[in-house]
Amino acid sequence: MFGKIKIWHFSIFILSTILIIRFLHIINVFVLLFDLLKSLVSAKQNIFSLVGFNVVDHIISAILLIILMVLLLLSKNIKRILSYKLSLVSFAMVILAAAFLFAPIITMQNPEFQKDITVTKLLPPFSSVKYVELRKKNDNLNEIVYLKNRIDQIIPETFNNSIIYFDNYKVSDKFYYYQASSHNQIELNQLQLRNRKPIIESKLFLLGSDEYGRDVFTRIIYGSRISLVVGFGAVLVSFLLGISFAFFAAEKGGFVNLILSRVTDLFLAFPSIFLVVLILALFGSNIISVIVVLGFSGWMSLFKIAKSEIISIKNKEYYLSAKLLGLKNYKLLFNEILPVIIVPVMVNLIFQLSNVILAESALSFLGLGTGSNYPSWGSMIESGQRYISQSWWLIFTPAVVLVATLLSINEIGRKINKIINPTFE
Amino acid sequence: MNLQHKIIRSLLSRVLSSVFVLLLLITFVFILVRLAPGDPTAKYISPKLSPDLAENVQKSFGLNEPIHKQFILFVSKTLTGDFGVSYNYRIPVLSVIKEYFLFTLIFSSISLAIQIIISFWLAKVSFNNQGKLFDKILTKLSIFNYSIPAFVIGLILIYIFSIKLNLLPTSGLNSIYDEDKNAWMIILDKLYHIILPLITISIAGISIFYKYLRDNLIVISNQTFVLNLKASGLNEKQIYKKHILPNAIQPLISVIGIEYGLLLGGALITEVIFALPGMGRLTINAIINRDFPLVIGCTLIAGVMVIVTNLIADLIKIKMDKRLVKDLIR
Repeated sequence: MFGKIKIWHFSIFILSTILIIRFLHIINVFVLLFDLLKSLVSAKQNIFSLVGFNVVDHIISAILLIILMVLLLLSKNIKRILSYKLSLVSFAMVILAAAFLFAPIITMQNPEFQKDITVTKLLPPFSSVKYVELRKKNDNLNEIVYLKNRIDQIIPETFNNSIIYFDNYKVSDKFYYYQASSHNQIELNQLQLRNRKPIIESKLFLLGSDEYGRDVFTRIIYGSRISLVVGFGAVLVSFLLGISFAFFAAEKGGFVNLILSRVTDLFLAFPSIFLVVLILALFGSNIISVIVVLGFSGWMSLFKIAKSEIISIKNKEYYLSAKLLGLKNYKLLFNEILPVIIVPVMVNLIFQLSNVILAESALSFLGLGTGSNYPSWGSMIESGQRYISQSWWLIFTPAVVLVATLLSINEIGRKINKIINPTFE
Repeated sequence: MNLQHKIIRSLLSRVLSSVFVLLLLITFVFILVRLAPGDPTAKYISPKLSPDLAENVQKSFGLNEPIHKQFILFVSKTLTGDFGVSYNYRIPVLSVIKEYFLFTLIFSSISLAIQIIISFWLAKVSFNNQGKLFDKILTKLSIFNYSIPAFVIGLILIYIFSIKLNLLPTSGLNSIYDEDKNAWMIILDKLYHIILPLITISIAGISIFYKYLRDNLIVISNQTFVLNLKASGLNEKQIYKKHILPNAIQPLISVIGIEYGLLLGGALITEVIFALPGMGRLTINAIINRDFPLVIGCTLIAGVMVIVTNLIADLIKIKMDKRLVKDLIR
């Protein structure tokens, strides 16, 4: 459907689009990084107190963007891996990956940013709001304050005192502005002026805003991080558990195998959702506990697949010779077994990934998710539920993104499965 | 050993394995409660309790005893149905659960019936029209449905039917003014309220059962004994009814058993969205209120439901096909 476009063409297109649109911001971030390094070398004062998670996040994203761009353009290996034709699924995956990696650069906003709620709350998609910025004070600065101001300018925080959103305005001797039912005034010389008139800018809420006036688009982009981090984390936990139990059972055989298989059958027959809920209730729900619990509830099917595969290669000559050489168990597992069974294991892990993302969103929906300090698609849908009669976009947009993600992951799994095992379906 | 003995032995071993699973579940919950941060008794003592009573509760755990005795105490209490006292309702957990269980029982039974009837009908139609448009669309839809979370379906239904069309209620089980209605009207009113929840909760089950049954029907209809029956001149309907369908249902029964157990444990998401007074919402509310005895009680009951329905499904399977007795004895 996309003709001869390949995945890496599209990836470069996405990267360069981000690069062009956010060019100034990226330059600013690099200048900031340079400043920070410079003051680190001069080392007059401790600058680490200035550098929060957001700053690091921005800097890493900007560096990663440049590195990935260069790698994509130069490396032949990556081009070869990404040389499949672009389909709808890979289209969605590339966008998801970009959202995950470059969330701060793409959005240039903090997902928690809120100001003047009366004006900005529950805006429909594609609406824009006018704002003015207050003039910044330029006192004589020492280095630290200068750096702090720079960071405040470049890195978006959860609250910005120098922006005023309003519905309507009038300029005479003072600047009069109206917010919902209230009207206020401000001296002209406090604002940023051009030709003695305040600069009126407007901010676009691409996918609308929620009940606290936070931008839904930004929150959806950031929400991909929770989903993918929990997804990959839990899949990694299941992978390690499943594969090491499988190796253990296949190697020892006999009684150990019997016990492990029985326990697996029990866990498979048991509804893990209730245990997950119980564990999260008892131990408290944060991102680590969600990852561990979802990882623990998903290793069983992998165990079954891996065990039968390992038993079938246990008596092959290459494996026996590797064993007789005296290789350690983990080396046997990762060097001799894993490369052989990687494809069926991969398929299982991909389906597992979509299960985990679904489970995470369901848990967030029930209020047992990763905590409220980072947006997640499930919790966005949950909080949008209260405004369902007036603002459909609060539910609809995260739901569409969630379903599209799950569909594409499942589709990838199904495609790989079709290649290795064509009789399926 | 004659068949009668074999059957009894196999049934006994099946029941024993269920009991074993139950014990394992209780052990698991015991370990979790002990591993959880903080004093395990603190989870059973609400700050509102008087000091005397609190001390009594603390003593009833026997924390001064060695751990194996504590474990035996926990198991025996759980088996006799003593899950402690709920903080919130101030009555024993079991009686709280009893109140909510009736709704869940009725709701999930209706839902299971709907799931079975619709999926069997769809599977039959699509089996008869293999490779045609209807079959293809249904298969795609059933795959598509794996990727849609239940809460999305529920909210879309609410948006369309309750808010845009204003046809069905969004939540609850009763209309506001129902004092001067007779029993029939009340039942009708309740049915009217659970239409949307039933659709939400049944869609997932329907697509799973449909996919299983359709694939099974096709696999079995390609086997040689069916060809033989056709060659012998039996009519197609007879073959479908008496030979293909029973064989295809066989593996589905355990899936239905697990699904029913899950439904009986409470449909967490559906009940929360539609504010229904069932086990799932009870569990979630208990978590929100930090009502730990109730949370643990609900989890245990949900686990027991799955174990029991699994057992029943296996018994039905044996009843349908005596050859399975051999499998169970091993």
